[in-house]
Amino acid sequence: MSRAAQSKPAPAVKRPGGGGGSGGDAADGGRLHDDLSSLRVADPATESCPVCKSSRYLNANLRFLVNPECYHKMCESCVDRIFSHGPAQCPLPGCKRTLRKHRFRVQTFEDIKVEREVDIRKRVALVFNKREEDFEDLRAYNDYLNDVEDITFNLVEGIDVEKSNQRLESYRSLHADEIAANQHLAQEEKMSYKELQKQERQQAKLRREAAHREEEEERREAAETKRDMLNRLAMGTEDAETVAKEGQQVQLKRRMDRQAAAERQRQLQAASDMNNGSSNLVIKGLKSRKAPEPEAPIDPFGGLSFEGRQYYNLQDEYTWEVIQNPKKDKVVRAGGYDVMEQFGGRALCEAFSGLGVFVADETSEGVKGEQDERVAGTRRAEVGAKDVKMEDPF
Amino acid sequence: MKFFIGDLPVLFPYPRIYPEQYAYMCDLKRTLDSGGHCVLEMPSGTGKTVSLLSLIVAYQQFYPEHRKLIYCSRTMSEIEKALAELKALMKYRADQLGEVEDFRALGLTSRKNLCLHPSVKREKSGSVVDARCRSLTAGFVKEKKERGEDVELCVYHENLDLLEPHNLLPTGVWTLDGMARYGEQHKQCPYFTSRRMMPFCNVIIYSYHYLLDPKIAERVSKELSKDCIVVFDEAHNIDNVCIESLSIDLTEDSLRKAARGASNLERKISEMKDTDAQKLQNEYSKLVEGLQAADEARDEGAFMSNPALPDDLLKEAVPGNIRRAEHFTAFLKRFIEYLKTRMKVLHVISETPPSFLQHLKELTFIEKKPLRFCAERLTSLVRTLELSNIEDYQPLQEVASFATLVATYDTGFLLILEPYESDTATVPNPILHFTCLDAAIAIKPVLERFSSVIITSGTISPLEMYPKMLGFNTVVQESYAMTLARRSFLPMIVTRGSDQGSMSSGFQTRNDPSNVRNYGSLLVEYSKLTPDGIVVFFPSYLYMESIISMWQGMGILDQVWKNKLILVETPDSQETSLALETYRTACSNGRGAVLLCVARGKVSEGIDFDHHYGRTVLCIGVPFQYTESRILKARLEFLRETYRIRENDFLSFDAMRHCAQCLGRVLRGKDDYGIMVMADKRFAKKRNQLPKWISSALMESDSNMSVDQSVATAKKFLKTMSKPFPARMQDGVSTWSYEDLMQHKGKIDAERQLDGPMNGDADAYNMHGDQIMNEAQGADGMDVDADFDAAMNSMDV
Repeated sequence: MSRAAQSKPAPAVKRPGGGGGSGGDAADGGRLHDDLSSLRVADPATESCPVCKSSRYLNANLRFLVNPECYHKMCESCVDRIFSHGPAQCPLPGCKRTLRKHRFRVQTFEDIKVEREVDIRKRVALVFNKREEDFEDLRAYNDYLNDVEDITFNLVEGIDVEKSNQRLESYRSLHADEIAANQHLAQEEKMSYKELQKQERQQAKLRREAAHREEEEERREAAETKRDMLNRLAMGTEDAETVAKEGQQVQLKRRMDRQAAAERQRQLQAASDMNNGSSNLVIKGLKSRKAPEPEAPIDPFGGLSFEGRQYYNLQDEYTWEVIQNPKKDKVVRAGGYDVMEQFGGRALCEAFSGLGVFVADETSEGVKGEQDERVAGTRRAEVGAKDVKMEDPF
Repeated sequence: MKFFIGDLPVLFPYPRIYPEQYAYMCDLKRTLDSGGHCVLEMPSGTGKTVSLLSLIVAYQQFYPEHRKLIYCSRTMSEIEKALAELKALMKYRADQLGEVEDFRALGLTSRKNLCLHPSVKREKSGSVVDARCRSLTAGFVKEKKERGEDVELCVYHENLDLLEPHNLLPTGVWTLDGMARYGEQHKQCPYFTSRRMMPFCNVIIYSYHYLLDPKIAERVSKELSKDCIVVFDEAHNIDNVCIESLSIDLTEDSLRKAARGASNLERKISEMKDTDAQKLQNEYSKLVEGLQAADEARDEGAFMSNPALPDDLLKEAVPGNIRRAEHFTAFLKRFIEYLKTRMKVLHVISETPPSFLQHLKELTFIEKKPLRFCAERLTSLVRTLELSNIEDYQPLQEVASFATLVATYDTGFLLILEPYESDTATVPNPILHFTCLDAAIAIKPVLERFSSVIITSGTISPLEMYPKMLGFNTVVQESYAMTLARRSFLPMIVTRGSDQGSMSSGFQTRNDPSNVRNYGSLLVEYSKLTPDGIVVFFPSYLYMESIISMWQGMGILDQVWKNKLILVETPDSQETSLALETYRTACSNGRGAVLLCVARGKVSEGIDFDHHYGRTVLCIGVPFQYTESRILKARLEFLRETYRIRENDFLSFDAMRHCAQCLGRVLRGKDDYGIMVMADKRFAKKRNQLPKWISSALMESDSNMSVDQSVATAKKFLKTMSKPFPARMQDGVSTWSYEDLMQHKGKIDAERQLDGPMNGDADAYNMHGDQIMNEAQGADGMDVDADFDAAMNSMDV
């Protein structure tokens, strides 16, 4: 039985956009498909191309390709023959889809249904890529997952495809920024994971080599001690028993030394691991990551307020002749300054400045303040350094 | 015999006690008092079980806490032996105390062994019995019956519900047979009786797996309280049991079956949607709330349970994307399909769980978290669907537990894909081994939960290896020598043949004709001089076959044939048991027989060759593991990296513990005698890795012999052994009567008073086992031999 005839019913029932296939149909298709898939597995050697009918029996290097448009399988030479001059219709009877050569690829999964499902999932995962950390609690996250799965499942099984696609698109347009951000994060994570794996492999290799070396060393030493002992015995100047005993003791001592050294090494390593651990610490929490607040305009005085004047109130009128004249003088007012505000205010400010300042207190506070500043500065630096590593400091 | 250890009165059901038994009990009590774990090695055939039981039962009855004893053993026969010992002990206690204590003890074994249902018990396979039993006893079946549907129920199980739940069984010690008989009489199911009575027992005796295999342990042993005393007897293989309980092998066939199971589930779901959608909806809303709610429905008939999921996870809700039943089946199918794809690779792959998960995620968008809940979700689904033919879903369950394990543990596991069965095979038959490398993982919950865990065996040397591998600390760690009134076993290391050529099963020389001939002549000589049975152990089946065929060519078998019958162990257990039976008949009736078997086979463990069934054991070659196995290599690497155990150390430790097991087969008591020959030049260096009781009996002069020397020594030894040896010769030396014990105690007290101020607060019983042993050894000493000859002479007259 040719493969095409078997795998055809499945996509036919669940063709995206078909929309007509009800749940019952889908289940039927699935069952049929599965029964047949177990048949197909039975003899992979006689698999044959549904287009040119050449089989693996005749050509051992036969390779099959599928196109994610319709998932019909055909052999490599057929693909070359039919599609090398541009897009063409799928050569299988009943399938009217136009296929392009560059989209043909090797089938990853044996079950064509799963192959298609994974393609759909790829599409969905690109859009719905929220992470567990983006949610306030587990329940919300699980509900989100459930919704996503619903959409995916509907797409895969061909239930309400239009609606699901709509939901997908609307979500995409609504959350474009978030999607991009999470994509970036995922990318980063993957990179760092790969890096980590590489490091680990390297370390394992080093350790293996070290163990090898150690063993070698031990063997060499043992041989040396033995030779030495034999030499001394051969000289015959010493008592045989003491020589033998000494030799044993030397060996024992060496072994103890080596063990102690290994232990030390291990402790050192453990300590360094701990250090690494704390700096690599990744704390994941269920908490929404809030977008940073919109930046406020720059305040050159750093929040120092001139409003709350403690000791005086500026009044509208002062009977003070120094300002009576300029108040009316056109030349003075031409600059746009309010005489009362600028001049009067300044005069008052100067008059009262210094009240409420106690020099002794200020000097002692000043010293403390300086220190605080320094401490805060270093702390801020630390926090900054940690921030880089920490995904979410609660 | 009644005596005191400290303030604890111990009733010992025999009139005499061995010194090592007394030492063992002292150390046991020390462990129980201090509340920690211990490793004890006691020579085989010195009454380990009875001393263990009598001390612990005394401890239970004397102290007000009444700590429960969980006694785990390895095989059915050992469990039954222990139950019988306990029964005798309790009878003795009742006689002595004049009243029957309120005491309940029972054993638990599989449904297959206990089932009484007329048609179910006729099934041959254990898993079929389990499945059929579940379909007759599950909670939903009963509900159906109550609704008036026509379903079959098990009468034996139903009758249990009529009884008081805490009093299904009268007090007393129940052997497995006794339980079955009681069940038959009262028409109640013995299996569920024991399961339900476990919380109300003083002693429970069952197999390791009920405690170590997390899949079973969670269901069976969950309610045992924290202060239980846990004993692992015959525990020399405990690390392998731990590892096996967490390892999973997947083949193409099992994946195919799993896929079929998933499709069946899918169909069942759509059926249920048509008929009883409410039920699915109920399950769904339960899962939304979290697993804990779903847990309530968990009963003893549950389909399977989660392998080793941490507790905090169990409280978490199932991830949203596998909450719906149809989503979950699609999820499973995708996962299975992925595994199938992986199986197609034609070269060996070994990878860690994180890298597997990474690849899985890239290819199929399956995240780690839902994977982790796979097993639990499947259980819930199966329960909701009320499936009755559960055995069909076994492969699917395997895949689900694989998924859970791979997502739960980052380290300590490895995935190894072997596309070909052997190096020379050309047709791929892929197996995906998901192998556990760390024995500590499985036993960790046990060690953490129970305050006293006792690990004991006849051969568990070197003692420090076990705490290291299993990741725990011991309060007591002790190995006892064997006190003997005469040298009743003769260990020898034979390194050379009569031609002075070395003997070894090492890879380079194992098939040298001279080497094989030397081994052959060893066998011929011993078949001549040994009365009755000889047991020969080879390192592997492969080597045994090749050496036997070479012996056939050399005519060695013909020479052996003149003296003994020759029998061979095969991997087939039926054939082997036939061979064993014939062997026993031959030993009892004729000139005896030679049994050729394998050091890691069935015969090497659990089968005793006591008295005339085994007078000589020959260990041909050091029984190393097959070192080219990838799983072993991975484990060795893991041990080195994690526990700092060197490859060679572990391999030789493993070989020597198997060797010791083999040697221990022939000596099953103090009145037994036997010759133990280790024939390999490499044994000379491994002497100190033997258990203390063997290595202390191995004399320096016997540790590097040639075949003819060993034959001469063996002949002399047998001549001594053939003299009659009345039991009273052992009195006071290797067996103590009450007076001897008191005398010994008095001596200890006197010693203690001498250096009293030094450690005045220490009690007499606190004395170290070593001291006791030294004392006992000192008592026999050299003069016994002289005495003995004199005694023999007087007897002759």
